[in-house]
Amino acid sequence: MKALIKKFGKINSSVLLLCIIFLVLELIGHRHGETSIEDFTFFPAFFGFLSCIIIFKIGVSLRSFLMKDEDYYDK
Amino acid sequence: MISNFPPGFIMIIGALLIPFLPHMIRQIYMMVLVLISAYSLTLGFGIHSTINVMGFDFILFQSDSLTLPFAIIFHIAAALNVIYGAHEKQWKQHVSIMSYSGAAIAAVHAGDLFTLFVWWEATAFTSVFLILAGNTYRSYRSAFRYILIQVTSGMFLLAGAIILLINDGSALLTKFDINSLYGQLIFIAFGIKAAFPLLNGWLQDSYPEASEIGTVALSTFTTKLAIFCFAKCFAGTELLIVIGAIMTFYPIFFAVIENDLRRVLTYSLNNQLGFMIVAIGIGTELAINGAVAHAFAHILYKGLLFMGMGAVLFRVGTCKASELGGLFKYMPITAVCTIIGAISISAFPLFSGFVAKSLIMSALGKEGLVLVYFMLLFASAGVLHHSGIKIPFFAFFAHESGIKTKEAPLNMIIAMVIASALCILIGIFPSTFYQILPYEINYQPYDFSHVVGQLQLLTFAAFAFICLWHFKIYPPELNSTVLNSDWVYRKMIPGVLIPLLKLVERMNQKFEEVIVISFSKTKILLSNTMIKNKVFDREVGSDTLIVIQIFTIFLILIFIGQFFYK
Repeated sequence: MKALIKKFGKINSSVLLLCIIFLVLELIGHRHGETSIEDFTFFPAFFGFLSCIIIFKIGVSLRSFLMKDEDYYDK
Repeated sequence: MISNFPPGFIMIIGALLIPFLPHMIRQIYMMVLVLISAYSLTLGFGIHSTINVMGFDFILFQSDSLTLPFAIIFHIAAALNVIYGAHEKQWKQHVSIMSYSGAAIAAVHAGDLFTLFVWWEATAFTSVFLILAGNTYRSYRSAFRYILIQVTSGMFLLAGAIILLINDGSALLTKFDINSLYGQLIFIAFGIKAAFPLLNGWLQDSYPEASEIGTVALSTFTTKLAIFCFAKCFAGTELLIVIGAIMTFYPIFFAVIENDLRRVLTYSLNNQLGFMIVAIGIGTELAINGAVAHAFAHILYKGLLFMGMGAVLFRVGTCKASELGGLFKYMPITAVCTIIGAISISAFPLFSGFVAKSLIMSALGKEGLVLVYFMLLFASAGVLHHSGIKIPFFAFFAHESGIKTKEAPLNMIIAMVIASALCILIGIFPSTFYQILPYEINYQPYDFSHVVGQLQLLTFAAFAFICLWHFKIYPPELNSTVLNSDWVYRKMIPGVLIPLLKLVERMNQKFEEVIVISFSKTKILLSNTMIKNKVFDREVGSDTLIVIQIFTIFLILIFIGQFFYK
């Protein structure tokens, strides 16, 4: 455990721990969403994780044609 | 006759005295102006002030349940701006901020479109000086583009107001029909200021070029005035749901790749406006409450984030993620306040963003707008990515930039601490906050499902970012320009128009050359012929000329005549 914390960093490990706690909380209580799709177990967790990865992937792919030199408009 | 000063008016008039006051007295004076303006709000709901000009009643001061929350937050923001900018010794920006805040507050209380138009344009002309205060070549050019677009928006508003006046004989600020011509013109006017998709370029172009104080003020008033106007005139217009959903969605990707952290915040601002626009489009009481609550909370946490980045800019001289990092040890209070703003905008429970955004999400759920709901949920994860993590992480942590600096000035810290406290208080006491909303509300944001669902969404989105960073998948921030919709009028149109104009000019030159040469040659030929035949000789000249003239007139008459006798 200590090795994991050392390797992954204290803050990162804390966030991971929080993730686990919030998953366990769902198992203890009954969570329901605004829509029926959200009622699937751990749906917000999956949705949040995947959204962040998708945003990152699309953002990085946009770099190739949206990102120009800093003085692009000054030329 | 004027019976009562409309709120904000005293701030505009009072701003004229600012240049003549010494620094500290000026700060107290400005705070007094804000307080006197706020006192007008105690008059209650109704029409309090009209003025008759040439038979038209300008309604200067009208208040209702929708104007009140906007008026309250605009006054709070104006007061925070006074504190935040207290270190600035020059009077110019203070005059600009005070009159700009006053114009926005007065606009909220306008009862007819012509009064709104006056304040609408006043917000543009007073705020442009804040962009000029950036004091760079880029900021000058950006300010020019900004004022052109803002005035264009005003022209649409004026055109709509005139058509409405001609059609209905009145230009009262009330609910408009999007299917009418005047409704569409007014819709576009509001849409420009609300930074609709493809009309948003001015926002990301100009705000980051303003001074550190200026951006904080700019982030508060212009766009939220547009939100107020939409809530007043176009609530329940379904088109707004589509536009708003797109607005929440696409700025996220731009914010992810943008390097200038103040520009990242403007993309984030655009995305947050999308939430409000969606809520206004839904138009139910819960949704309108959500839009107003979100605008209120947003002004505070977005202002706080801009204050944090403004403090960094003021101390370090840059806001570029690629050049910053490791500032936490030098600016801990600024960092903590920025993190509070970041947590609030990400809508963590116990912070203002959560209690405001929950209203909108619940309104969407109740109306069964599933696709839009998930678009906004996706956007919520995006907000955490670019505003919740990227802003504080790259400014205060990330890598060691080697920059050594000191904490922000005391006045900046005071403003940031007050804004932070308000973000937390709204989050802790939502029922008190909900009391200022336009409609009565019985809503509890802190139920098990809301809290656990939101915490799972945010912590796992944060964990995804951590994984990307830790395993070095996240690419380094680069000094760059990210193309936005302003590219159309900054590059594309000049890129097409300038060569086209040059081509026309060249063709014109060629044409002139050909005509002039041909004319000269003909002239020489005619002269030679006339001289040779002694046409202009005095003996025969006059008779010959008369004959030629009569013959020419005869020919012209025949030519014209054939058209009539065809």
